[in-house]
Amino acid sequence: MRQILNVFGFLTISAIIVMPLMVIERAMAADTKSRMEREDYRRVPMPPGFRVEHSERDGPVFADSRGMTLYYWPQTTMRNGITGDPKNQSLCTDVPTTETAGLMSPYPPGLTLPELDKRKSCAEVWPPVLASDEAESVGSFSIVTLKDGRKLWAYDGHVLYTSILDKEPGDVRGAVTRQRGGESPAPREVAVVPPAIPPGFGIITTALGRQLLTDKNFSVYMSDRDGPEKSNCDEVCTRTWKPIIAPASAQAQGEWSIVERSPGVRQWAFRKNPLYTSVLDADIRSLEGSDAPGWHNVYTQKAPPPPTEFTMQDSITGVVLADSHGKTIYLYNCGDDSMDQLACDHPDAPQVYRLAICGGGKVERCLRDWPYVVASADAKSDSRTWTVIEIDPQTGHFAQPGQGGALRVWAYRGAPVYTHSGDDAPGDINGHANGEFGGGRNGFRAFFLRDDFFNNAG
Amino acid sequence: MKHQASKKQLASLAAGAICAAAAFGSVGMTAYAEDSTPALKDGRIGYALTDARWAILQTENGKTECPDGFNEGPREQFKALYPDGGAVADTQLERESIARYPQDKEDNFSYRHAKGKYAIGLNLDGKVGPNDFTSEAGEAGVDNQLFRAIGCTRLFRAPDGTFAHFTNMWVREMNFNRILVELSNVDSLENDESVDVTMYRGKDRLITDATGANIIPGGSNRVDERFGAEFTHHLKGKIENGVLTTEPSDVRWPWAVFLQRPGFYDIHDLRFSVKLGPEHAEGLVAGYADIETWYAQLIRSWSTHHSSYGGLSQPSLYRQMYQLADGHPDETGAMTAISSAITVKMTQVFIERSGAEMASDHDQQEQRYVALDSSPAR
Repeated sequence: MRQILNVFGFLTISAIIVMPLMVIERAMAADTKSRMEREDYRRVPMPPGFRVEHSERDGPVFADSRGMTLYYWPQTTMRNGITGDPKNQSLCTDVPTTETAGLMSPYPPGLTLPELDKRKSCAEVWPPVLASDEAESVGSFSIVTLKDGRKLWAYDGHVLYTSILDKEPGDVRGAVTRQRGGESPAPREVAVVPPAIPPGFGIITTALGRQLLTDKNFSVYMSDRDGPEKSNCDEVCTRTWKPIIAPASAQAQGEWSIVERSPGVRQWAFRKNPLYTSVLDADIRSLEGSDAPGWHNVYTQKAPPPPTEFTMQDSITGVVLADSHGKTIYLYNCGDDSMDQLACDHPDAPQVYRLAICGGGKVERCLRDWPYVVASADAKSDSRTWTVIEIDPQTGHFAQPGQGGALRVWAYRGAPVYTHSGDDAPGDINGHANGEFGGGRNGFRAFFLRDDFFNNAG
Repeated sequence: MKHQASKKQLASLAAGAICAAAAFGSVGMTAYAEDSTPALKDGRIGYALTDARWAILQTENGKTECPDGFNEGPREQFKALYPDGGAVADTQLERESIARYPQDKEDNFSYRHAKGKYAIGLNLDGKVGPNDFTSEAGEAGVDNQLFRAIGCTRLFRAPDGTFAHFTNMWVREMNFNRILVELSNVDSLENDESVDVTMYRGKDRLITDATGANIIPGGSNRVDERFGAEFTHHLKGKIENGVLTTEPSDVRWPWAVFLQRPGFYDIHDLRFSVKLGPEHAEGLVAGYADIETWYAQLIRSWSTHHSSYGGLSQPSLYRQMYQLADGHPDETGAMTAISSAITVKMTQVFIERSGAEMASDHDQQEQRYVALDSSPAR
């Protein structure tokens, strides 16, 4: 039997089922201290005026002098060709594209893109970061000179851009389209600041936070039974939980320290917590080890929690975020098939893509089959990741101030979230992957908090 | 209308299964008592599904079942509809809309059904009707209208059809698809008039030999008691001459057919008819596939691009499935399900489950189908 759990105040129906859900609840509704913890980063040389912003979800990111997040557009092989910037070049021009490029089979190139009268150029959507004539390369930042003489900043050879979707310092909405391998639009990537982690570790961004992994992508765990910089994991315990051994040359630094388990056997600790992997993890990036009482995945910083009126539900593949009625939350993803690969998954973009998938082009059917998640009257956001926005339900665009019939709906990273009428029971994900290329290019994907089978969470 | 199988019918299924097993290659089985069948412990033996394909009886180049050729797919239809291209909204998005709302517009493309006398499958309704097939072993009344619908679409044909190829491969490789079948209260794998059959979703990889290509028996597999709970089903069956047959039961069958796209099929009145052995089992699973679920699984998992590889027009197929539907009429009498069969192979595994799981799953299964039955048609 499934049950509905409020994100912060849960009902106890079955201890057996509740316990694993508590794992994610703990990760999301972390105490104030851990929610305030931010990921440390390596201090690297930056151009004058550049700075580091702590984003809520993606951790420390490079930003321009205004604090706007920097992105780059690496060359990407699509189904039928290549797009994106070659190194030390920019293909993002100030001329609006008018036709599809046919990069994504089976549709041919040359189809007329929608709303050409309003269509922005790539450079309007992704303003390049200009460098002054006097600018000089510093560290991994270099200068790229275009044919017209303009100079642009590049990072590791990739020309840098900002996004018109970002409104405040620390926003990371430009790369809002979640990437799903070769079937998504050619992605813009966030210029993430290298994290301050020792060799042998890695970090990925997930819906729960910045998750600490080994360099082989296996999950890292910590235990409630350990003390500060003291491991209480005995011989029996270590049959399941393998201490992560620090090499003899490793040095404590910043939030990282070393615990000596026995003479000459040194174990890494993060924020004073000794670190382990689980021999029972069948796959990389697993959250399964946290099902064991007292054991937790490790995050360098937690993601902002979803609205308190939301719930979490078990699905056939993992845990999904759901509304107050237990209906699964969906994200809409869209990128057009122009050479620019511009996003079409936010309220400023043409809605014709979404309407085709959610209702066969019919607005009323979209509102029936894929309704917005209306925020309660007193709902308010306490993060910039989850916000309440006003939408004109007939157009799908932002409503004008004071507009009659506007809906106050929940948005994730600036774009509305949805439920699906085809979901009958809490935890159903019958709308997941509905759309072009399984929802990776123009369609809906469930908001997974945990996926034990397909790595959909993130 | 429920399609309840009689004992007599089940007996005929058993005979059919023997023939079906023979058709797919004998696994050389003999009678085994428990002490000579190490995998049969305390009256239990478990298997993991290793191969599954929607059953299509093929001749070379389809000369017998597809004398008019194969169906055309999205590329051909797009070219015919929009020879001069057009706007994205009126062309590409129109086709994507129709795939999801196939009843919005007429489909004037010709469609080629599989023809002929023979098909792989079982007699699901105990009758011999004018649209029924005959098995290659000579059993009349075989119900497999899904074969008629998809048999002349290259995508579904083996071994070159990409759907047939990948979906079978991912039965082995995706833990999400790890169907475990446990027989309990078994006295003998040769004859037992009453056995219990439980289907689970497992959570572990299968063990292969050194080549990596062959699943070997004797591995262990844990039951996914949490996320796989709704894939647990309890069936009643019997074994005759080494062939397990089960009574019809509604089953949700986990079968993700593409990466990152979990999915399932709802199959009404599903029954097994498989030849059992101590290390392997092989035969058929057949039942009435719920069309809306089947189609939703198709459009969510198999994109228009991928469908183009094998001449599959999803909206065209949708219409044909309803045209050929022969099971589970709704309140208006319209059929909502289509007879189908899946060829299956299984390998013996030791199934690890907890006691708590057994007590709770039956209730959950019943609740699931109450919820589904009461949901409005879409």
